[in-house]
Amino acid sequence: MIERLGAWRRRGVLAGLAAGAASLAAPSILRAAPSGKPVRVGGTLSLTGFLAQTAAVHKIAADIMVEEINGRNGFLGRPVEYVLLDDQSKPEMARSLYEKLITVDKVDLIQGPYATAPILAAMGVAQRYGKVMIQSSMGIPKLQTYDRAFPATPFGPEPDKTYPNVILDAMASIPTPPKTMVVLTSKFPSAQFMAKGMQKEAEGRGVKVLLYLEYESGNHDFGAIAARVKEANPDFLWVGSLGLESNLLLEALRKLDYVPKNHFHLYPAPGPLALSPDGNRALCSTFIEADEPFMSRPGMKRIAAEYKERATKINLPYTTLDAQACGMVSEWQILEAGVNGADSLDDAKIAAWLKAHTVETLLGKQRFNGPYNHGDAGQMIKQVQNKEWKVVWPKEFAAPGVKLLAS
Amino acid sequence: MNAARDLPRLAAALAIGAFALLPTAGLPAFYDSFFYLVFFWVSLSTSWALLSGFAGYFSLGHAAFFGVGLYTTAVLAAKFDVPFLLTLPAAAILPALLAVVIGAIVFRLRRLRGELFALLTLAVTFVIATVVLNTPIDGGGGIFMSAVPLPSLMATPTGTLYLLAFVICVSTLAIAWKVSRSRLGMGLFAIHDDEDVAEAKGVPTFRYKLTAFALSAGIAGIVGGVHAMFVGFITVAGTFELTVPLYVVLMSVLGGSRSWFGPAIGATVITTLLYSFSSGDQAMIGRAVVGFILIAAILWLPDGAVPAIAKWLKPRRAASVRTGADVAPAATPARSIGDRNMLEVRGVTKRFGGLLALGGVDLDVREGEIVGLVGPNGSGKTTLINVISGHYPLSGGTIALDGVQIGALPAHDIAHRGVARTYQIPRPFANMTALENVVAAATFGGPVRKPAEIRDEALHWMAFTGLSGKEDVLPAGLNLHERKFLELARALAARPKLLLLDEVLSGLNPAEVDNAIRLVRAIRAQGATIVFVEHLMRAVVELSDRVAVLNEGKLFALGAPREVMRDPRVVSIYLGKAYAA
Amino acid sequence: MPSATLLGQALISGVLAGGMYGLLAMGLSLSWGLLRLVNLSHFALAFLAAYIVYELGTTWHVAPWWSAALVVPAMFGIGAAQHWLFDRFRVNELASLLITFSVAVILEAGIQLYWTADFRRYETDYATLSIKAGPFFIPVLELALCLVAGVLAWGTWLWLRKTFVGKALRASVEDADIAAAYGVNHKQLAYLLSGIGAAYAGIAGTFIALIATLAPAEIWTWLGVVFAVVIIGRLGNPLGALLAGMAIGAAQSLAMAVFSPAWAPVVSFSMLIIVLLWDPEWL
Repeated sequence: MIERLGAWRRRGVLAGLAAGAASLAAPSILRAAPSGKPVRVGGTLSLTGFLAQTAAVHKIAADIMVEEINGRNGFLGRPVEYVLLDDQSKPEMARSLYEKLITVDKVDLIQGPYATAPILAAMGVAQRYGKVMIQSSMGIPKLQTYDRAFPATPFGPEPDKTYPNVILDAMASIPTPPKTMVVLTSKFPSAQFMAKGMQKEAEGRGVKVLLYLEYESGNHDFGAIAARVKEANPDFLWVGSLGLESNLLLEALRKLDYVPKNHFHLYPAPGPLALSPDGNRALCSTFIEADEPFMSRPGMKRIAAEYKERATKINLPYTTLDAQACGMVSEWQILEAGVNGADSLDDAKIAAWLKAHTVETLLGKQRFNGPYNHGDAGQMIKQVQNKEWKVVWPKEFAAPGVKLLAS
Repeated sequence: MNAARDLPRLAAALAIGAFALLPTAGLPAFYDSFFYLVFFWVSLSTSWALLSGFAGYFSLGHAAFFGVGLYTTAVLAAKFDVPFLLTLPAAAILPALLAVVIGAIVFRLRRLRGELFALLTLAVTFVIATVVLNTPIDGGGGIFMSAVPLPSLMATPTGTLYLLAFVICVSTLAIAWKVSRSRLGMGLFAIHDDEDVAEAKGVPTFRYKLTAFALSAGIAGIVGGVHAMFVGFITVAGTFELTVPLYVVLMSVLGGSRSWFGPAIGATVITTLLYSFSSGDQAMIGRAVVGFILIAAILWLPDGAVPAIAKWLKPRRAASVRTGADVAPAATPARSIGDRNMLEVRGVTKRFGGLLALGGVDLDVREGEIVGLVGPNGSGKTTLINVISGHYPLSGGTIALDGVQIGALPAHDIAHRGVARTYQIPRPFANMTALENVVAAATFGGPVRKPAEIRDEALHWMAFTGLSGKEDVLPAGLNLHERKFLELARALAARPKLLLLDEVLSGLNPAEVDNAIRLVRAIRAQGATIVFVEHLMRAVVELSDRVAVLNEGKLFALGAPREVMRDPRVVSIYLGKAYAA
Repeated sequence: MPSATLLGQALISGVLAGGMYGLLAMGLSLSWGLLRLVNLSHFALAFLAAYIVYELGTTWHVAPWWSAALVVPAMFGIGAAQHWLFDRFRVNELASLLITFSVAVILEAGIQLYWTADFRRYETDYATLSIKAGPFFIPVLELALCLVAGVLAWGTWLWLRKTFVGKALRASVEDADIAAAYGVNHKQLAYLLSGIGAAYAGIAGTFIALIATLAPAEIWTWLGVVFAVVIIGRLGNPLGALLAGMAIGAAQSLAMAVFSPAWAPVVSFSMLIIVLLWDPEWL
């Protein structure tokens, strides 16, 4: 290892290192402590401001992964250092801080922020400097126009077409498949994008959309909307919600003595909805849960345990490893695979390698050679059962004995 | 003297040149975008201050104009393929037009000042944001600017945006500087302190407010236009959020919103603070530290940084103020009462809702005459002054000044035509020094003259009213007697044909009254025609050529003072409070 | 065309939801109108109270009304302490904006440090209770909020209108010297008023904990609409603030029932603009 000190450019020496996340499962006895000048990986998260709700989730996941990677071989034998800045939930801050990371701090690599606006702001900078940027939470793949930007979450290139059909398939499988539905969505770009797709696909498959309503993102007052939903009384309620909007809507419905039949929620805060008395049997989008069969994926058990410990320590209300955190884990796994696979810190080489290969991540095998560098869609459905989230669809990802419960 | 004046200019020119070339200096590109954001906030907060700081029309709607500009560029460039630079004029013009439309409605309504203006601008922001969100302008999906080409004015795209923001920032500061030293600025400062008085002193308040609003909105709009490219992905929530109005207010307050340079200081400090604590490990602590620093700053400098510095520098500057006692009188020599009617009031009525305050008053005042206006409380004396000076619009009848109909004109126009007035309770512009008060009145009331001439004349009238030595004192530092005389000095500085005096003597002690009576005589000796409202009968009799008695909104009696005052009908309406000869 | 039931229900929900705007606006209106201090930290104090109620309720299982009995006096103390700062440094209206903004930022950071930025939700058995009245449902919690707000607003209004101290307080806004001449200790009253304003934030916070979303950034989401409510209700008039809040709430809710819900702000704020331009005699 000594000859590698400060000589990271000698790529030949590093050739042949195992690529991909196979090493995640490697027993610790094979680990060699990385040494030398650290590889600095810069990124921002919205640690403060109006997007900050999930910042801690991302930060814990990233910290765990940096330690995991350093516990193995680091990047090319050098330790990894995560240079994290706070973009304050503002895209203009994200933009300038990525410029700071690249031109002042001179980081070797970057990691993407979360949420559409900061991601796109950062992507513009990455593009100007030719940096590979991996991000885990952009729900509108077609906006990812930069050829070195990669998704860490398997939305697939057209989730507005594919995912509604996953939902409709699930609904078709229950004893009395819904004939009517109401589509209700926050006017948040990624939620609205999916809601429009949902409306179109549902009508295409003969489910009548009784109402399509959009409400302002961050709306507090769901009384009138609930009254309209109640009056429409659909077989299936689809809500393009964020944060606690679903909780507030379900409570407003309950206040009208109405419990929706089957109801789906797009991006709600997982903890509060699972624990809500009204959340029972709520359906929701996901990519993974801390449950079988996912627990058997390499590294999952360890990361889930570690996550729970750290989340508890900083007083997070929901301490179970969720899809968002796994997205961040996947981000680092893909970067690690790219660096090892390309055997280089060179962004062009990493990007080329990623496009040509499949990476094993917590969120499954991912490829990046489709439109907008997206691969296969892997969005699933989970359901609140006994105050816990259970993946219920597609069936092969449901834990043994768990199945989709109709209301 | 010259070197002292040129030095700051040279320094400014050097600083501008240095900043303009910064992107080529080889600094990391981050500094381009950091300074971009500093320029961004300097421009926004300075443009806000043009209306809200200078004229005191506190707006919470700056995000509306910023947002309209931003969306103008975004829609034109991203949806209609208009080259980015060509969208910028539209990004400035559209918000300016919007401001003109809003202003044309709002500024006519006297009641929509203060908090109500803030509320209205806030409501406009919500309405515009919702319209943009729910129409194809945005529709909720946001606008992605990545396909819009950015012209290469500089080597890097960030450098180009830096340059654009820099040009806008320097222009904005230049505009603010120019405005603050211009007639427009003086008018806006007067509006800030007392809009009704400003109008009566000849400030075309409506036009000035509209101009300031349009300038303010136009600058905010063009800043938004450039920002569309900087942000790259535009959403309604990220554009019309309350951060913009909140931050521009805070920055202006921190720096001093009545100063052209104050908002720039505040913006630089706050933007730098926001960057100083961006490290991921101390994000929350950083926010709290920023909070504590801001509290400390404003407790220490309650009026903002720039006024505090100015106050600190003041003692040195005061020494250089010239005294103007030696200036020759600017008025014409004494004249006797002419045959022409200076003022013709015919059948004037004024209603307030159901109340008839003036019920058909006829009154002629001859050139050079002094007419005393008396009557019991509520008889309509002050109302008559207010209608003649244009403060209230007429409900009926006509008023002619020197043969020209002025009844339908706005107050500032009447002031231009030579009518000046004083207020019973002095209403000086509170944030202007005594001299500035008189200068403002001379600037807007009198004929167009050079600033130096106006200043000399103002100094003359201050000496004339015995206020020499009080030039740099703020009105709050004057006693009632001095404030009354400041009212007179302001009225005289406008070189009025007709001077309307509203109870100049009330509240003065006997010695001060004698002094004031001498002063009014001296004013008349210079040729002004005077109508004065007065309760003090000794003064009425001593000063008036004729006395007009008003009762219940009607002209009750008119004639030589002693005769009128002995008229039993007049005595009876005073209910025993008659002139005790 | 929406049914009468829907419209009626939307009206009920809207008025009751508007009670929250009103309750938040009341304290703000008092300090702005009677002390000439624009207190942006009012929202942060309300959320601090909400978090404390949440914490006591979830960790220690203290009922919210007992928590309120603890939190409201504490908030009173904080309000009075804040006024000491304003008094000591003779803070003017504009400077008060900057100071209270900074206080809000500090409180936001403090809340995030302890409770994290993640969403919190205080689940109670009675959160979704409602009373059935004909075809309509009246949510109990919102009703309680409106009753409490109504009693407070009415009481404060009477206090300001009818009692000597209240009249003196209003007189001192016009002219502190005159008030002093009548033997009124303006300074002491200002402390009292500041404390009351903050205590209202405590009461609002208790209801926020039970009704709304808890996240540090949520502090700022009510700012715009509550500002509007404060001004429509006339500065310094708690009853006006409450009524204005209910009016805005009702307008929003009806708009959501009839049009696309996302258009609701246009309806309520256009209404506001029209009212401002048309006949503000009662404003």
